Amino acid sequence: MAVNRSTPAGRVFDAVNVVVLVALAVVTILPFIYVTAGSFAKESELAERSFFLWPREVVTDTYRYIFSTDTFLRSLIVTIAVTAVGMIIQVLLTFTMAYPLAKRHLPGRNLLLNLVIFTMVFSGGLIPTYLIVRELGLLDTYWALILPLAINPFYLIIVKNFFQELPEELQEAAQIDGCTELGVFWRIVLPLSKPIIATMGLFYAVAIWNDFMSPLLYIDDSTKWTLQMFVRQVTVSSDMANTLGQIDPNYIPPEQGLKFSVIVVATVPILLLYPFLQRHFAKGILIGSVKG
Amino acid sequence: MGKVRLRTRLVRYRWLFVLLLPGLAYFAIFRYAPMYGVTIAFQDYLPFLGFSGSPWVGWKHFENLFSSPDFPRVLTNTLILALLNAVFVFPAPIVVALLLNELRLSVLKRAIQSAIYIPHFLSWTIVAALTYLLFALDTGPITQLMNGLFNARFDFLADPDWFRPLVIAQTLWKSVGWGTIIYLAALAGVDPNLYEAARIDGANRWRQMWHVTLPTIRSTIVVMAILLAGNLLDTGFEQIYLLTNSLNRSVAEVFDTYVYFLGITQGAYSYSTAVGLFKAVVGIILIYGVNWLARRFHHTGLF
Amino acid sequence: MKPFKNLSAVFTTLALTLPLALVSCGEDEKTDAADLATLTIMAPLLSGDAAAPAVDGEMHKAVEALSGKKLEITWVPNSNYGDRMNVTLASDKLPEVMVVQGKLPAFVQSAQAGAFWDLTGKLDAYPNLKAENKQVELNSSINGQVFGVYRRRDPMRAAVLVRKDWLTKLGLSMPETVDDLYKVAKAFTENDPDGNGKKDTYGLIVPKWPGVYATASPYDVIETWFGAPNGWGERNGKLVPGFDTPEFLEANRFVKKMITEGLVNPDFATLDSAKWDTPFFTGKGGIIIDVSSRGGVQLRLFKEKDPANYGSFVDMTGNLTGPDGKKHSYPTVGYNGFLAISKQSVPTETELKDVLTVLNKLSSKEGQILLNNGFEGKNFTVQEGYALGKSATDPAIKTVTNDVMSFAQIGTATNGYLAYIALPAGQAEKEQYEKRVKFHKADEASAVPNPAQAIVSKTQVAKGAQLDQIIADARIKFLAGQIDEAGLKAEIQRWYSQGGQQIVDEMNEQYAKIKK
Repeated sequence: MAVNRSTPAGRVFDAVNVVVLVALAVVTILPFIYVTAGSFAKESELAERSFFLWPREVVTDTYRYIFSTDTFLRSLIVTIAVTAVGMIIQVLLTFTMAYPLAKRHLPGRNLLLNLVIFTMVFSGGLIPTYLIVRELGLLDTYWALILPLAINPFYLIIVKNFFQELPEELQEAAQIDGCTELGVFWRIVLPLSKPIIATMGLFYAVAIWNDFMSPLLYIDDSTKWTLQMFVRQVTVSSDMANTLGQIDPNYIPPEQGLKFSVIVVATVPILLLYPFLQRHFAKGILIGSVKG
Repeated sequence: MGKVRLRTRLVRYRWLFVLLLPGLAYFAIFRYAPMYGVTIAFQDYLPFLGFSGSPWVGWKHFENLFSSPDFPRVLTNTLILALLNAVFVFPAPIVVALLLNELRLSVLKRAIQSAIYIPHFLSWTIVAALTYLLFALDTGPITQLMNGLFNARFDFLADPDWFRPLVIAQTLWKSVGWGTIIYLAALAGVDPNLYEAARIDGANRWRQMWHVTLPTIRSTIVVMAILLAGNLLDTGFEQIYLLTNSLNRSVAEVFDTYVYFLGITQGAYSYSTAVGLFKAVVGIILIYGVNWLARRFHHTGLF
Repeated sequence: MKPFKNLSAVFTTLALTLPLALVSCGEDEKTDAADLATLTIMAPLLSGDAAAPAVDGEMHKAVEALSGKKLEITWVPNSNYGDRMNVTLASDKLPEVMVVQGKLPAFVQSAQAGAFWDLTGKLDAYPNLKAENKQVELNSSINGQVFGVYRRRDPMRAAVLVRKDWLTKLGLSMPETVDDLYKVAKAFTENDPDGNGKKDTYGLIVPKWPGVYATASPYDVIETWFGAPNGWGERNGKLVPGFDTPEFLEANRFVKKMITEGLVNPDFATLDSAKWDTPFFTGKGGIIIDVSSRGGVQLRLFKEKDPANYGSFVDMTGNLTGPDGKKHSYPTVGYNGFLAISKQSVPTETELKDVLTVLNKLSSKEGQILLNNGFEGKNFTVQEGYALGKSATDPAIKTVTNDVMSFAQIGTATNGYLAYIALPAGQAEKEQYEKRVKFHKADEASAVPNPAQAIVSKTQVAKGAQLDQIIADARIKFLAGQIDEAGLKAEIQRWYSQGGQQIVDEMNEQYAKIKK
């Protein structure tokens, strides 16, 4: 978009824009740096200083503690596997359902769409869903972490609308060339959808990664727990547990530094996903050139 | 449309129906089969007695809700927060995405993108702890800064007037970066030739943004607006709860915190389900309402 | 470990079981008589790093060996134990033994509907389950009916922490009465205890309290010192809520005076309770009213900062004498939830006996040491009757230490605590601990029990938490000067009119029954 970069107004705009966005980035990232710095700080320093970006003395006790047993590594592997497999299944299910729904002349389309929309606001609740998962024999399997949330109706609608905006002529042309509907979907539509696939992949992956309610309800075997169970266990506000009268008076809450290191180790792997997916956004330019 | 037409259409689209099947199975099993759960709003439900064993009580819980002395206050608080969300939080990612789109240095662009989405991964518990730290009376860094600037003594955490600005600030901080992702994906689809054409027509940066960039993401904005409408009354539980205290509760209590107290601490499953059902009905009305408006003025709605 | 089964198999299962799922709505299918070769237990996980004890771990094996049963324990993260309990109650497969964390409404309602064994009078036959303290057993009951084996906790925990170095500098001694508390707080505020030449300190530190009325907040403790009831009290033969007494008002006037004079942290309504230690540790405030274990937390912080003199910063004492010259001590309820036994999974008396026999074994001296300390010589050593933890560089030792934290949750110690007290190494820690034992013991004589502890009223279950919020909020507003005494009284009247009167009536009705 190399446009009008030489005009004075354009240059002022560019400068202001850079300043604003960098400031935004700094504001959003500073607290995370505090959390990271805090994970390397002594407990007394965390109690003493209110906000800092570098500890006075770097200690790695909490990290050594976390990595001293194989529990953490095991659940990291479990989480990555469940997230990867889950994301693929969820993206697949979402895209295969969204494509037919994007066809305006599909019989029954309106009814189906309304049924989908309905589930955006109405749900049966925790207990019936649990009972279904149990009836299906999914308790204590990784499928319980994936299938009950396989399609997010919001994402389904977003993808459906994306498909609707693809040029119809292109698909019709392909059909005339002898492609079946499935062929059009696979050979024409999906390759054009890279940015939206990347986006949905990210959304689904992050949702599974951050989900702690499913493992809490469906997984008894603690060797199958995901990282969020750690995070929740260590960081959950004592405030809330206290209101429920759930704090054992003999319980000493985990140290602040441990909370911070658990957050860091459970967050960094998934943070790395976005920069990796970012390049696919640029590839979406294709659509534009097809349109033009 | 005649029967024959329908039949030919069914045949013509047979492969599309095959594609639909797994998704339909999912919705039938995991979304609709548990739907009988909403009936507990009309029962005095007790988990141990189950859905078939709990007594039916008709509209009792709804009557209690609407006649409760808390209802007007909770509804008002929820609506105000919902409105503030719609006005301040909804447009923010659009603006940031447009600004990011104007950045030419792609290294910087990527770095900023990766930075601003980080807060999405911090739980509300952590966000609340950071808020208490930064806005603490007399000692918080932000409080000290503001006290110095305005020569006053701000009590952000206790003053009811500051409760809503704090909530909105938290939400903005946590969600803006994450929210830009969907718009950036849509912006990736803008045809560079369109800018070329606009430039030849003598359009400046502002006009290009207005006439080329914005129209490309307009339908995404419409979709997001409709989706927002459905969840308008969901103000989030943890965020609000953790920021509430005895001095600001009068403005802080919303449906989500109210239901939590009733549902979890008092075991009123049926009552809290009734509240949830009320919210859902409002949500579905809003979805169809906004969708109707979108079709009217934008010619493409959600469905 | 089979990470993922064949996908097509799963979808086949989905298709086949769908009709089944649609018709069955969680109604009770009668399960076979439980196979009591294995005992299923559900318990909260309190281990520090969220690693649940492994089934083939040393601790799990040892507990199995001791109980003579194969154990299937479902560990549920403590933060969401309640959610999981609700779902479990709704399913038809209850664990045989369930840790219940107090008289939560979901439990009370289920117990009254017959989900759990009524153990009233049954426990005395088991020497290790026979209640050491009958009052605590009554406290843990629902209107006198015992639905679980209670998990014993220290009956007295209230303590006042004071900055020792500040006392020394100003030539003051530890407070013994509430008047002393005021004087020390005043001196801490006005006489520059940290010697920096600035008037930048205060006396008492109070955080934003997450609980409602009568939840062991500093306010509740001070009210009790002033002679107000602990939650509920008997006045003229009738139960009255503690906040409707003249002593309640008097105590809050006292706290308000301290706040107005600047002797309390100005952000008492909003100070993050997770940061309660900070002002004390950094020398902004000098007094904390909390449970005595906070003394240990402070010692740990000071030890990290000043390993040579860390013992000279924290002093601690028990309950303070009230303005009437008498001591009214704030006790705990003496237990933390209980182990309830499902009637559905343990259908017969014979099986119930079998389960109770196992719990009895776990509560023996040997069992308590295993559950609370671990293996002597391996992860701890005994010195002067205390358990000293071995420094955990060896992962195997650390695993045991961690597992012990979890297994302690299924121990009851109903017959009294027989295991060793775990004590961190250090002279100051030992001195502090011994002091703490002494004043707790002394305070027990003046404990103010809550006579309504055992009583569960229907309206209280339905509306109690919400109503008590009215009182907690009004108290803070009064202290912050947002409402006056008339306003506070008006809020108390609001409590009565929104359902409180009904609670009072129901409580008194039950109370009359229990007293007989």
